[in-house]
Amino acid sequence: MEKLNNPSELSLIFKYALRDLSRNYKKISSIIVTLFISLFILSAIFTIEDSLKKELNDNAKTLLGGDLEIDYNRNQGDLNLVNEVKEFSTVSQMIEFSTMLSTTGRKKNKSLFTRIKTVDKKYPLYGEVVYEPEDAYERMQNEPKTILINESLSKTLKIKINDKVKVQDQSFIVVGIIKSVPDVSGFVAFGDWALAGKQTLEILKLNGIGSFLNYEYKVKFKPSDDPEKIESKIKDIFKDDQKVKLRFPENSASGLKRIINNFSQFLSLVSISAMLIAGIGIANTLLSFINQNNMSIAVRKAVGFYSGNIKTLYYLQLLILLFIITVISYGSSFLIVPIADKYLSDGLGLNVYPKFSLINFIKIFIVGLLVLIIFSIPTISSIDQVKASNLFRNVFQNLQFYYSKKSVIFSFILLSFLVLLFTLGSERPSYSLGYFLAFFVCLIVFFLLSKVIIYLLKKFNFIANISLKVSIKNITQTKSITPITIMSLGLGVTLLLTLALVGTNFKREIARSIPDIAPDYFFVGIQKGEKKKFEQGVYKMNPDANIEIVPMVSSGIVKINGVNPNRYIKPDNDSYWVIGSERRSSWVENIPKDNPILKGEWWDLSKPSQLQISLDAKVAKDFNIELGDIFTLNIYGREIDGEIVNFREVDYRDLSINFAMLFNPQFAKKIPHEYLATAKFKNPDNFDEIKMLEVLPSLSMIKIADYLNKVTSVLNKVFIAVTLISGVTIIIGLIVISSAIMVQGKVKEYQNLVFKILGFSKKEIIFSSLIEFIIIFTSVILIAIFFAVIGSKFIMENIFELVWQFDFEVLIYLGASIGIVTLILIMLTNLKYLSPKVYPLIRNQ
Amino acid sequence: MNTLLKLKKINLKYQTGKDNINVLKNIDLTIKKKETVSVVGESGSGKTSLIMLIGGLERPTSGKIIFQDREITNLNEDEVSEIRKQNIGIIFQSFYLIPNYTAVENVSLTLELNEFKNPEKEAKSLLDRFGLKHRFNNLPSQLSGGEQQRVAIARAIAMKPDLILADEPTGNLDTDNSIMISEILFKYVKEEGSSLIMVTHDPKLAEKAKRKIKIKDGKIK
Repeated sequence: MEKLNNPSELSLIFKYALRDLSRNYKKISSIIVTLFISLFILSAIFTIEDSLKKELNDNAKTLLGGDLEIDYNRNQGDLNLVNEVKEFSTVSQMIEFSTMLSTTGRKKNKSLFTRIKTVDKKYPLYGEVVYEPEDAYERMQNEPKTILINESLSKTLKIKINDKVKVQDQSFIVVGIIKSVPDVSGFVAFGDWALAGKQTLEILKLNGIGSFLNYEYKVKFKPSDDPEKIESKIKDIFKDDQKVKLRFPENSASGLKRIINNFSQFLSLVSISAMLIAGIGIANTLLSFINQNNMSIAVRKAVGFYSGNIKTLYYLQLLILLFIITVISYGSSFLIVPIADKYLSDGLGLNVYPKFSLINFIKIFIVGLLVLIIFSIPTISSIDQVKASNLFRNVFQNLQFYYSKKSVIFSFILLSFLVLLFTLGSERPSYSLGYFLAFFVCLIVFFLLSKVIIYLLKKFNFIANISLKVSIKNITQTKSITPITIMSLGLGVTLLLTLALVGTNFKREIARSIPDIAPDYFFVGIQKGEKKKFEQGVYKMNPDANIEIVPMVSSGIVKINGVNPNRYIKPDNDSYWVIGSERRSSWVENIPKDNPILKGEWWDLSKPSQLQISLDAKVAKDFNIELGDIFTLNIYGREIDGEIVNFREVDYRDLSINFAMLFNPQFAKKIPHEYLATAKFKNPDNFDEIKMLEVLPSLSMIKIADYLNKVTSVLNKVFIAVTLISGVTIIIGLIVISSAIMVQGKVKEYQNLVFKILGFSKKEIIFSSLIEFIIIFTSVILIAIFFAVIGSKFIMENIFELVWQFDFEVLIYLGASIGIVTLILIMLTNLKYLSPKVYPLIRNQ
Repeated sequence: MNTLLKLKKINLKYQTGKDNINVLKNIDLTIKKKETVSVVGESGSGKTSLIMLIGGLERPTSGKIIFQDREITNLNEDEVSEIRKQNIGIIFQSFYLIPNYTAVENVSLTLELNEFKNPEKEAKSLLDRFGLKHRFNNLPSQLSGGEQQRVAIARAIAMKPDLILADEPTGNLDTDNSIMISEILFKYVKEEGSSLIMVTHDPKLAEKAKRKIKIKDGKIK
């Protein structure tokens, strides 16, 4: 943009910009619509993300359940230390465990593996528990053998208030339904869960490691105390306790924050794709708008306007338009928040409220501004081509995109800035960068494709069929919209097909893993003396059951080669979970079939008194472990040194029994243990969970199909949302095509008039449009499928590390649907040019 | 000095493909202040090209154009625009009003550009003078040809330029409107003391100018 002479000139240009815009906005309606849609999507993503993060930050203490959390994981912890904390603050103890919850007194009872949270009377320290009926929570706290269940559990097992349920061998009355609990960051907030009073623990036997026990103490400081001082005091109390983990509000819901960041990064990239596609349309519509104003521009030049000032006038109009659209789209995005709130409060127990953020508004405006400027530079620069002398000749040449070296460099800088804006702020910058790279490669390929099509069709000059001849001429003519159609449609279709292929592959991978590899059930909580009873119970119902039963012991890694691993292994390490809390380990005589040894030797039988460890190779790599390294494990309070003797390849996705650590049986069988089992049945329906619970009341059963169905159902919802948002790119692409056709409208109308005069029938004109569409769409869809295949294969195999498979059906369905919609749109847009009025056109009116 | 404009050895060539067309050949011309000049000649003789050069809308291939003692031939586009903005008003055969601006806004355009204090008032006063009081807020599409040309004249003379260039100002008008427009134009030039260079095919209109120049094959005869 060129400089203005003085401030009064700027205010004059501003005045003209406002006037011109208020009178010409209809001519640039496609710019307004595409800009609005893409900015609205971007605004909605930013607003929801911001509202969610604000909610998480504002309610960090509520989400954590206190000013601080003392997490002892599998054991009760050092109560003396906890009591020390109680001296200067309020401490609420809660214990979570998983067990079977069954209905009673029905013809056919049902059971579900349920997470139960037992709480004392101080719970919750922050926030509130929402439940019904009114006295339910009080009854749960004061009456023994009462329980509150969540809505999901109530729906799945069809349990009503005051129904009796069985937990292990004890009967409980369901006194109410919980809508939400405040401390969702550390608790499973979706799925099946229940809340019970502290006394429940005394009623149930919860010593087994299969109960997935978790001991937590939430701490609330006195309001008069300095939180920092109290925090350091508590840290000091627990400084020598290696089993404890202290959590603070700032790290509450870190997993949730990461998911939000990842998801919003992906959606932001989709929305910026929509904006860039819109940019192609903006450039085209703007060029047509400037062409329509060719005479006015020449007049302005003739009366003494500088070319630079005229360009500024157009940039200003775009700026004003962008500001208005940003305000409207950002404002409208607040309407989406209540919808998001409904889903989030149902799913996560979080409530989001629309909150204005100036930074977000500026970010959205800047993104819009960058896209607008990048795409309008070659268009507005074309104003230099307008000559005032044309007014004397009464001839106005059609303007073309104008690329000077300076403007190309400037556009490139702005584009890099735009890419950086989305890349640097994202959760995974390399993925964002890769996405942009793929986007621009696709854009270039589609542009080149259009040029190749035009080049090849120009060679077809021997065709006799008149409709085909006309359609080829339409595609190859100088002012053809072929490149714009191919680029905008191609990018949208590629994005949609890629996501569809990823989605179907993902779902198929999950569904496929159930019958092929996975067992039907996981059983936990089989005590040492119950092994036979368990096997008999299963075989009685299913004589042909395939049972795998392994010993299991809980252990925590205290030291690696004498050093506490928590000191140097950070939570962002992929294998942090191995040291994060106590893990279950097992032992076997022989190398498991699905766990091949990658390095080292199987057990050294000459050292039966020494603990030998077989480690997951991925964990070894992540922790930089070598053979011969020593793990100090805490097993039932005893610290035992074990030597790493081999690395195994473990694939947890096969859903069979897998452990990160396996011990040598000669040493391990002396350790007190219980059993973990899996079972695969020829006919799973013959297996009765309730009967099994009668045999072993403390047994927990996890039906794999149920869990995978839940995952699939969540994934389905996610993919529907993602596909809908990606569909926006198609909508914008279609608007771009439609506006491009309308830009050509006058020429098309004139051409159809000539055809009419020459005796061309409407049918032939429609047929030629159809051929034109088929030629363009076929080439677009083929290239889009090619890119979608490469893109989805890369995502599935490299990001999700799953098997990719070509899905012809989804491509056919989606491709055909997009094709039909595009065809209808093209036909409808062309329809009004089919019957040109002869008189006004002949008289050049 | 009484000279407003001087053209020295002006040549204008266009290249169309491999051919060079000599539109204007060695033109020498002097226009005095307050002088009215009509330029006549056959179609394609170079009349319009001549006033395009004078208005700084085209550059000559060679020669010099001196306007108000300042050579404008080597000035850049913005510098020429500045001269045109303040000193040269142009009237076209096809009026060329900005279609989505009202009559007042079209006239105000030049006044605002020249930083007049009350451009709208000035514009209205001018339009009133040309009998267009009832058309202030009409768009060009709502005006007749004669009315449009009157607005165009008002726009060209609004900032009281020293030189008015008119290219076939009555070429698109019927006889009555042609007479009216020529009267308005010459009356204004006489009253305000501007110089006028007018290209026309109309012999009667040409006769109204003090001096008549005939161009044939790019040369002044």
